[in-house]
Amino acid sequence: MKFRAKIVDLACLNHFTRVSNMIAKLAKTCTLRISPEKLNFILSDKLASGGVSMWCELEQENIFSEFQMEGVSAENNAIYLELTSENLSRALKTAQNARALKIKLTNKHFPCLTVSVELQLSSSSSSRIVTHDIPIKVIPRRLWKDLQEPSVPDSDVSIYLPALKTMKSVVEKMKNISNHLVIEANLNGELNLKIETELVCVTTHFKDLGNPLLSSESASQSRHPEDMAEVHIDIKKLLQFLAGQQVTPTKAVCNIVSNRIVHFDLLLEDISLQYFIPALS
Amino acid sequence: MRDNDIPMNLNCKLAIKSILPIFRCLNYLEKSVEKCKIVSRLDKCRVVFQFFCKHGIKRTHNVYFQDSQPLKILFEKSLCANILMIRPRLLTEAIVLLTSNQEEVTFSVTPGNFCLKSSSGESLDLSSSVYSEMSFDPEEFDFFQVGLDTEITFCFKELKGILSFSEVMHVPLSIYFDFPGKPVVLSMDDMLLEANFILATLSDHPSRVSSPQSQSLCLSQALRRTEPTQSSAQVGQSQASQAPESISRAAPKRLFPKDPLDSSCATETKRASTNQDDISEVPESVVSDMEEGPGPSQLRKFSCMFFGAVSSQQQEYASHPLDSLAIASDSEEDVSG
Repeated sequence: MKFRAKIVDLACLNHFTRVSNMIAKLAKTCTLRISPEKLNFILSDKLASGGVSMWCELEQENIFSEFQMEGVSAENNAIYLELTSENLSRALKTAQNARALKIKLTNKHFPCLTVSVELQLSSSSSSRIVTHDIPIKVIPRRLWKDLQEPSVPDSDVSIYLPALKTMKSVVEKMKNISNHLVIEANLNGELNLKIETELVCVTTHFKDLGNPLLSSESASQSRHPEDMAEVHIDIKKLLQFLAGQQVTPTKAVCNIVSNRIVHFDLLLEDISLQYFIPALS
Repeated sequence: MRDNDIPMNLNCKLAIKSILPIFRCLNYLEKSVEKCKIVSRLDKCRVVFQFFCKHGIKRTHNVYFQDSQPLKILFEKSLCANILMIRPRLLTEAIVLLTSNQEEVTFSVTPGNFCLKSSSGESLDLSSSVYSEMSFDPEEFDFFQVGLDTEITFCFKELKGILSFSEVMHVPLSIYFDFPGKPVVLSMDDMLLEANFILATLSDHPSRVSSPQSQSLCLSQALRRTEPTQSSAQVGQSQASQAPESISRAAPKRLFPKDPLDSSCATETKRASTNQDDISEVPESVVSDMEEGPGPSQLRKFSCMFFGAVSSQQQEYASHPLDSLAIASDSEEDVSG
């Protein structure tokens, strides 16, 4: 198993750092999957995360100027690593104005992802190299099946999200009132966030959001545009997702399967993020 | 306000929390204060700070002090095998790059290289901290003498504090050290003051795992703790309720380089350079000033710090050496934040 990659472009480095920061907010521990074309950050720990799953995908050639990997075997040409997300984001933070950044899989006293940053010294023209060894755990092949891309369910409603910052501030206040939030949307561009307690009922209405064109599914075509599809979810999980979004996405879609699951599909420039929150049982 | 039978040395300690607010508003002090007089009043166990301000205003602060036993630190730093001098800014910029929140930092030197490392943790799993490392070229140092290839580990927090202090003083920082276990001295020397911070370093001792005492750090002075259980009985201090995670500190001490050694110090001198295992007796008065009860894990974080300030004008005030310790000067630097 081998992995070695290099970033020299500052914009690519910052982009990768931002993604890493976002992952650190979404999942304490995550799986990094390295394959010849892509890098994925995966959270699929159904039990531990209460059913939340995350799939983040980036094309390696958009970020790395050099990329070499050799998977576990020829038929299974991938590497699955488990790491503490914050370790990676903190290491990348030290590379803010770096000339170059190298990442490689190493085995010093224990398996590590070694991030090596070449920084320009403020005093002279020479550079200083800082290395960070991030401890990792290699995930054995038998567990790979649980870490595959989640299938996108056939949704009842698909809608574009409003400004995530606005959603976040609304949900943050709602969290103080109730743990249980209802998210509902229809094919008329309307999305509501509702909480309900014995004393009070609060709803925030978002209008004119627009709905992406769906593939011709008879189920959704026959659906009345005003009909709301709703899911009851844990408010903290929604808040954690929203808190991780520091940058305005290029595209943000919410797919709702009534009473089953809500699926957020974001595109951040060239990086895709999918986040699934199941309904409360 | 002078006490005529003032002893030559006043050894006392003042709470920093009491002193800081007095000198807080530097802008105001610079604009309005014409003279600052600091006087000790032994009869009332006070140190009096007086600001003579414009428009005839006089501000007086009385700060009570506690007696403390001075600890004579006899550590000849110039005898250290490794002596480095660097502008603190370089180190400050570098330590920002150490990502983990570890308690300790490691300096690793060879004649051709200086390496700054975060201390390697003991547990090897996902939750371990990231291990970071970076190298400095000897050229980056103002002075670089390495007589012994070595690696020393000591308290990170103290290093950060010392670095920010030396940056404020605009003085290069000198680092004196030897083998692990022997203290490291970080010092700055300036026209106004000389400061020496003596920190304990982790010992390489193979018997480290056997008992908390041998795990603890070697010190040049009799500051080590006895068994935590014993010490509370022995000393029976009210400080026993101190938070266990406090780092034990020695009483602050004035280093007067010209002070003659008196006989009580002679025995300590001998012990000073030996391994801490030899130091078995701790003078009761010394222990009484210290914070109580670190557990075995806290002993590993043991560090001691001594700060010495030598006024260059000391000789003029020989008759009343401690009545006036400082006079506000016109060119006092504005230390912000």
